[in-house]
Amino acid sequence: MHPKIEAVFDDAENRYLKPEELGVLTQYVDTLPGRLTTYRALRDRELEIMQPVADQLVSELPGEAVATLERCIKNAILVLRSCALGMLLEDEALVQQRLEGWLSQSAQAYSSTAIDTVLYRLLEQQLSQVLGSQQMALFHPMFSLAQRLLTVEEEEPLTAATIGW
Amino acid sequence: MISVADLLVNDRIPGNYFATDAYVRGDLELGILENRQGDRLLALPSTLIQGIYSGLEKETGQASRLVLFNCGRWWGKNFYNRFAEAITDYYGISLSDMPMVEFLQALQQCWITHGWGKVDIDQTYQPRGFLVVKTWNSPFSHLAPSSEHPVCHLEAGILSAFFSNLSRRDLHCLQTSCESMGADCNRFVLGLAKRLEPAETMITNLDHDAIMQQLCQ
Repeated sequence: MHPKIEAVFDDAENRYLKPEELGVLTQYVDTLPGRLTTYRALRDRELEIMQPVADQLVSELPGEAVATLERCIKNAILVLRSCALGMLLEDEALVQQRLEGWLSQSAQAYSSTAIDTVLYRLLEQQLSQVLGSQQMALFHPMFSLAQRLLTVEEEEPLTAATIGW
Repeated sequence: MISVADLLVNDRIPGNYFATDAYVRGDLELGILENRQGDRLLALPSTLIQGIYSGLEKETGQASRLVLFNCGRWWGKNFYNRFAEAITDYYGISLSDMPMVEFLQALQQCWITHGWGKVDIDQTYQPRGFLVVKTWNSPFSHLAPSSEHPVCHLEAGILSAFFSNLSRRDLHCLQTSCESMGADCNRFVLGLAKRLEPAETMITNLDHDAIMQQLCQ
């Protein structure tokens, strides 16, 4: 469940919800149809989004090995799907937990940061065209979070304490 | 030309199997923790780890190192089997066919999600027959009683069994630096027992680099 809504329900154990707390819920419900439509668009038009991106990527980076490009594209599809789910649930934490560490580690392990930079630029352009401004506004926060996670290096070792155990 | 449709086998792309929110599941009513395969997870309170250390020390004295190492061997053998099974099921590739980078990434994420800190592999000495594993923020190091020796005997046992199973050679493991002694990380050297033997006595007076130099002479 959306973490903010969960917190509101937790706080309202023995009382009615305050207007501002109901506001959180209202905002969530009001934007849900838009998020559902955007999610459906991303799901149903995944190939339409990704194929032109893949074609452009190959033409912009002709020297790169196909296997490397394919790996980057597969990771980008995974990112797209995680972001879509995060957007549907309006839950940035979900995107963060699924991709943090793993995504940047993949890019580092395969030295693909330069390819990913081009790929994500192309993907963003394509998403803007396919989704339109309203849907893009809903999707963009998740996508830019994923872009940040791609390049962020962990500052300290991850331990049980830092992941909140 | 890359066909995106061809990349999507069964419309599924494996991601991070060990992502914490997906991997760890709890049932409050039953009071249990499980992983995504439904296997039970055990949460170890720090007092229990400290208790194991002090209890073993009292009961077995010097032999506690060996006891911990052997417990680690047992743990590591089962850990390897579970890890290999999970990886094969999820990524659809056996551990032995997995590219090194992906194996390492999975192992690192697995280590983090189980709360054991961070792990990395240093392959500098691989041509000489030694593999160095580094760990950071190990609870088994932080909670151990202070000592003049490295203290992660349990982890040394785990790593020894894990990499023995992976390489199908019987490997020994020796810890050469320890966070409990102020080192930047815990270093474990894996290799054939016979070749590691000379290093056993060097641990108290030589640092990791010097030990490796001696071993590789």
